[in-house]
Formats: sequence, structure tokens, C-alpha cells
Amino acid sequence: MNPLLAQFLAEAADLLTQVDEGLLQLERDPGDPELVNEVFRAAHTFKGSSGLFDFPELTRLTHAAEDLLDAVRSGRLALDSGMADDLLAAFDLIRGWLAHVTVHEQLPATAGPAAQSLITKLRGPLGGESAPAASDSAPAPSAVAVAVRGPDWLDVFDAEWLEKTASWLSTTSATMRFVRYTPDEGCFFRAEDPLHLMSQVPAPAVLALIQPFEWPPAETYDEYQCLIGFALATRAAVGELNHLFRYVPDQVEIVELDGDAIRRHLSGEEPPEPPPAVVAEAVVQSQAENVELARDAYAILAAAQRSLTVDSPSGARLSAVARSVAAAASALGVPVEAEEPDIESLTARVATLLAETPAPAEEPPPVVAPPPAERAPSDRARTDDPGGQVGTRILKVDQEKVDHLMELVGELNVAKNGLTFLADAAEEEFGSRVLGRRIKDQYSGLHRIAEELQAAVMDVRMLPLSVAFSRFPRLIRDLSRRLGKTVELVTEGEDTMADKDVIEALGDPLVHLVRNSLDHGIETPAEREAAGKAPAAKITLTAVADGDAVIVEIADDGRGIDADRVKRKAYEKGLISEDELESLTESDAVDLIFRPGFSTADQVSDLSGRGVGMDAVRASVEKLGGTVSMRSQFGRGTSTRLRLPLSMAVTQVMVVSVAGQRFGIPVDLVVETVRVPGAELGRVLHSDVVVLRGEVVPVIDLARALDMPWTPDPAADRAILIVSLHGQRVGLLVEQFHREVDVILKPMEGLLAYAGEFSGTALLGDGLVLLVLNMKEVLSLAARAQ
Amino acid sequence: MTQNRPKVLVVDDAATVRLYHTKLLGDAGFEVAEAANGLEAVEAAMSTAFDLFVVDVNMPKMNGYTCVETLRSETVGTPAPILMISTEDRAGDADRAYAAGANLYLVKPVDAERLARVARMLTSGVAA
Repeated sequence: MNPLLAQFLAEAADLLTQVDEGLLQLERDPGDPELVNEVFRAAHTFKGSSGLFDFPELTRLTHAAEDLLDAVRSGRLALDSGMADDLLAAFDLIRGWLAHVTVHEQLPATAGPAAQSLITKLRGPLGGESAPAASDSAPAPSAVAVAVRGPDWLDVFDAEWLEKTASWLSTTSATMRFVRYTPDEGCFFRAEDPLHLMSQVPAPAVLALIQPFEWPPAETYDEYQCLIGFALATRAAVGELNHLFRYVPDQVEIVELDGDAIRRHLSGEEPPEPPPAVVAEAVVQSQAENVELARDAYAILAAAQRSLTVDSPSGARLSAVARSVAAAASALGVPVEAEEPDIESLTARVATLLAETPAPAEEPPPVVAPPPAERAPSDRARTDDPGGQVGTRILKVDQEKVDHLMELVGELNVAKNGLTFLADAAEEEFGSRVLGRRIKDQYSGLHRIAEELQAAVMDVRMLPLSVAFSRFPRLIRDLSRRLGKTVELVTEGEDTMADKDVIEALGDPLVHLVRNSLDHGIETPAEREAAGKAPAAKITLTAVADGDAVIVEIADDGRGIDADRVKRKAYEKGLISEDELESLTESDAVDLIFRPGFSTADQVSDLSGRGVGMDAVRASVEKLGGTVSMRSQFGRGTSTRLRLPLSMAVTQVMVVSVAGQRFGIPVDLVVETVRVPGAELGRVLHSDVVVLRGEVVPVIDLARALDMPWTPDPAADRAILIVSLHGQRVGLLVEQFHREVDVILKPMEGLLAYAGEFSGTALLGDGLVLLVLNMKEVLSLAARAQ
Repeated sequence: MTQNRPKVLVVDDAATVRLYHTKLLGDAGFEVAEAANGLEAVEAAMSTAFDLFVVDVNMPKMNGYTCVETLRSETVGTPAPILMISTEDRAGDADRAYAAGANLYLVKPVDAERLARVARMLTSGVAA
């Protein structure tokens, strides 16, 4: 893909997002002029860029949307839901096209008809509005009804073609539009390009030139006078033609003809005069280039004349006009010896150049020295020091480069950890305590630098939660209309920052929770009013930073969860026993929703599936190292809270050993480490326990859980690591505590992926591969080992 | 003697259009700088003497008309030619550009060869 197209696609994504967000806000606050302006500008910028490529349907569709937005921002139209629907549909279609372009570098084959359908809808409100405007401009550019008989200028078309077309139109009961465009003789001076305008007509069938009745003699011929008219047959709609020629309505005649009308024209009483012979003249390339150059020079001179007419320029503006006139004169081969800054002589010179081109101009008037005041601004401009360029403050960086930098930072941490082993070796192997201490000092400095570098790199990867939240206004709008519910979305804390990977991984769980809320949680307006609630429901998305985690909450004021119904359903599905049915608390019952295979939806909905998603939500969040919890009040609403780590890149683990083998345990699970005399371990039922500050904490023998051969020395104190899992404290009996280290956690691959008790591996500074434990799985193993 | 390439400032809020114009003018032998809106353009013009400006009309922060007026005012006071390019093709738009101080008004998208030709013509007086 060429870089210009790649740039366009990247920019288009940003602009279309702006349009989408703006339109949704506009529906809520239609009177906000600043908001309309923003949406219009984004659409306008997008259209300007799209014009560089061969995507005519894309540009036309965007143009139609832009015109509608322009009418809204100028106050001629008020935005309503219908218009918003059409605009959103148009930009959705464009978004789909761009996805196609990304793969195939061209629009899909269906672009034309798809665009036409939406263009018609978008122009609908404008059409009604443009009717009075059309009556203001004379003559009316289009016939209201199909004409009975074709106009005289139909003769420019080939009679045989007209006959065949008439047959075809009669057979298909169709009509065709015929356009005559007679450009004004001075149109070139207004930067009009009649041929270009005609080439913009969609679905052309035949284009013919209407030559003047009599060409002027060669000696008075002016090639900058437009003497040719155009006639065109097209299948495009009248409305579209009216729009295309909206700037030259007085020069255009549009008629709609069916087969009969064409035949009546062909069988007119007087036989048609044969059309004048068209003489094609070949133009040599070099001559064409000279003509182009002369045309450009002429355009510049015409612009200069316009500048002198519109206003009386002075200072820098006058100097600029003089300079452009000199440039154009030079291109035309007319020598200019000095600048002429005064308005009168400049005006006269421009008039002379325009009148006499391409004839050589008269001798230039005598040179008059310009007054010093006029020279000052240009002198100052020329003597300005070429200082540093003012660059943009934003630097777009490839994600891959940031990821690579992140990996290097991680490896720096690993290398840094090697120093602690080196310090130990210095003391134990070489007996030098002084050297060991110096190495530890170096480690401290390096540790601080590495931590700051890591924080800086992770900051680069931080994005605001608004990135994840931005899709929900549209999702909720579409789904709520489809379900016949009225929902207001409130977002809070969108500025909260989180890691890009976390935000991306958050997308699916959030979508699922929102869909569930809309589908199952929120009642219909009628149900809500019957329950004494406001007809419009509210969904609140909240994000807040909490230490090294971010908390995202989705809350609704819907019907809430019926704990009794949930328990009954779980019992019916065999998820709980009859005893549990009686003893479960309300919050425990709510938690059942996260069990696999659970669903309370009695009728399956295609919007949120069969309700199996809730266990998937929890699984995906926990895979990120996060947690999910839910609170609900029956009749008042449900709130689901996701807690996610700020970053998934670097994990702090506590290193412990058992049977001489070292393992890592995530530090965020560790509550404390304790050493207790062996005698204090007690036994309750089938478990070892220890009493800590009045609390009975069960103790798991890690060696037994992992099936490793190790028995603690009966006389020694027990090393117990206290961890917290789902709010419960559990003790882990280990042989020895070591230290906390930062590691890059890498997931298990291949066959080892089935070893569920390990969440991954990490490389320690001494080259040892550390297995990091998955505490949930370890506890399951321990339970089975009892 | 080394040839001094004329300096052009391309001013447009659409990065794609800036890239397009920058490539065209760069290939035509110009030294091209970019600005994303009128305000950036004025700042750039205050520190660099450009030989030609190619200015869009609809831009945030400062639109093209105000930008051109400022370039012509005492603040900057550049006598360099200014070429305005816009998707708006009504007669009044061109007059407004000329009143602000532009020297030519073209409609987007500009033919590649024409842009290069006009740019060369308007900078032909720059000392070699």
C-alpha cells in the first residue's frame, strides 16, 4: 500500500470516530452550535482527503453528508433522529468501505448503488429545503415533470442513438435526463472548469459538444473566451444534477425524457438540420504545455486584478500582488525590470497584460523609486533569521517499537537482579564483605534508574479509559432502540489511565456486561413506570485508579438479580446441592451467576447469547490478573466491578523454596510471612491450621500439594507464607523464604500449557528458570491431596 | 554555485492532504515545511522566510483567511505569494481569499502538474 493511502486510512479512522461521537452527542443536545461545527469540520476534512484518491462514491457520499451537516450548522435545518440515523448509516458504510480498501486498495463493487441509496436519503431534507431556493434562481434548472417533447438542442445527439435509446426507455418504462450546459464566456476568469464539471456527472451515457453557430475570425479569436457548450445524456437523478450544477443554475437546462418524448422530437414536422461537423484538432504536446502555462499565468493575472478590485492592498499585500504579476508576466515572456508597488500603475499593468496577452506588452513605464516605508516590511521579512522549525508536539510511535523498548526494560530488570547474586557470591565465595556491600550499593542505584525507566516506558503505553468507553454510546443507542427500551449512558473517570493491553483486553468483557445489562437487567419503560421508576434507565460506566490497579464498574438501575430465582436455577442445573440451596447467602447466590453453565434467561436472545458469557467475563478478567465482583439489589439494580492491574508487563513475585526447588508467588497475593514453632500447628478436621492473632488460618503443605518429597524437621520452626485468595487467608507451608524480585512473566507453552498450577515462567538473574505458581490451582491440588 | 531551493510552507489540517502536497512540491524541487493549522503557520513564518505559502481554508485554531491576513499584517509582513486551496468553489470564497491577501485561489483536489507549475511560476523571482 502506498504511504499516502496508509496515511489517509489512519487519519480517516480518527475523523470518523469524531463524527460518530459528535453525532451521538448532537442527538442529545441538538442546539449546540460548537458541536455541529466540530462534526462538520471532521466530515469536511475527511472529504478533502478522500478527493485525492479514486474513490468517487466515497467522496460523493461524504459530500452529501457534509451538505446536510452544513444545513444544520447554518440553522436551516434542525437535526432529528431520522437524519442522525441516515448520517450514522452513511459513515458506517464508509467505515466498511475503508476496511475493504485496506485489503484491496479499492472500493467494493457494490459501492455505487449503496452510496446512491444513502445519498438520496441524505438529500431528502435538503431537497425540500432547496425548493424555494430553486425558485429564486431563474430559470428553474430542472423540469418538474417528464417533458412531452424534447428540446431543440437534442439534435446534437446522434439520431440513430436517440432512436435506440427511445426503444430501450420504452421497453424498460424508464426515463433519462438530458443536460445542456452553456458556460458563460468569461467563466475561466472565475476559475470555473466546464469540462471538469461535466466529467463529474455520474452515470453518463453520451457527451456531445455544442459548437458556436459561427466561429469568430482568426484575427479576433480569443482563446480565453469559452465558446463551446455541452450536452449530456445521463441516468443520474435530477436532484443529483441540480446539486452538481448548483453554482451555475442559470447556465444549465435539465429535462427528463421518456421514449415517447424522444420519438416525438425525432418525428418533428421539420426535418432536423444536420449537426455541424466536429473537427478534431491534434495539439502538439509542447504547444499544450505552453497553453497550460499561459492559462496558469492568466489565472494569476486575473486573481491579481481581483485582488486590486476587491480591496486596495497596501504593504505586504501590495508587494505580494506585484510579485505575482511579475511572475506571471515573466512566464508569458514579457520582461519586467522592477517592481511597481503603487496601485495605479500596477492596476494599469495588469489590465494591459490581460488585454494584450499573448500579444507583447508595451514598453514598461518609467521606473520610480519606491518610498522607503513600502520597502520596510519586505526587508524585515527577508532578513529574518531562519530559526528552528516550529514542529508539532505530538510524535506518533509504532506500537512495535514501544513493545520492543518494554522488552528491553524487562531484560534490564533481569540483568539488574543478577547483581544481588553477585553480592552474595562476593561474600560467600571470595570472602569479601566490603566488595559485597559495594555491589549492593550499585544495585540500589541501578534499581532506582531501572524502575524510573520502566515507569516512563509504561507511561508511554498508558491510554485513558475513554478509549474503551468510546464504543458504548453507539452500542447502547442501537441496542436500546432495538429492544424498545430507553437508556441513558453516564460515563465517569474516562481520564483514568491504564495499559494499552489491559484496555484492549477489557473491551470484550465490558461489551458483554453492557449487553447483559440492556437485555436482561433493564426493564421496558412500561415495566419501569409500573414499578415507580423513571421510564428512562441509566447505565453508569465508572473508572477509578486504585494504587497499582484500575477499577471499572458497570452499574444499572434495572430490575436487579432475584437471589431466590438464581438459587433455584442453580439447583435445577445441578450446580449446588439441596443443603446449599437452603444455606447460601444472598451475595453468594449472586456469585452463582459466574458459574459455567448458568443462565437465568428463560428465552434465549441473540443479543447476549445464552448467558454463558458471565463465566467467560470472569475468566478473561482473571486471566489479566484481575478480579470480578457483583452486587445487586432486587428491584433496584446491579453493579459489576472489575479490578485490573495497571500493567501486565512486569510482575513482582516472592521467591520461596520447597524440597530445594524455588517457586515464585505473585506479591499482590502475599499478606505476610510468619515463622511459628512446630508445636503451634494444630489440626482441625482434616486440615492443618495455625492461629494468628485470634484468627484460624488453614495451612497447605506446598510440598505435598506439588507431590514433592520433603518433610519438615520436627524440631525446627515452620516457615508459613500467608496469602489472600478471594478474601480468604490461607497459609502456605514452605521450606524457606527468599526475596521479592521483579520478573517478566512468560506464559507456559506447548505441552506445559496444561500444567495449570503454574501461571508462567521467569528468568532469574542467576540464569535459573523460576516457575510462578497459580495459587488457585495449587489450592485445588492441595484439597485433592487431603 | 549551489542552487537554493525555494521554501514552501504547506498549511492544511488534513495530514493526508499535507503529505500529498508535500510530496508533489518536494518532487518538483521545493524545500517543503508543514503546518497543521493557521496558528502553526504564522509561528513558522515568524521564524523562517518562506518563498511561497499553500494554505487551506477550513482549519481549526485559525482558519485560512485569518492566517493569510496575519501573514500579510505587520505581525509577519511577508510579501511572498500565497496560494489558497479549498474544497469550496463559490465565487465569493475566492474574493474573500483575495481580500485577505492571497494571490491565487484553487479548488481541491488540485491537479498535480498544475500545482507544481503554479508554484514554480510564483517563485520564479527567487534569487538563484
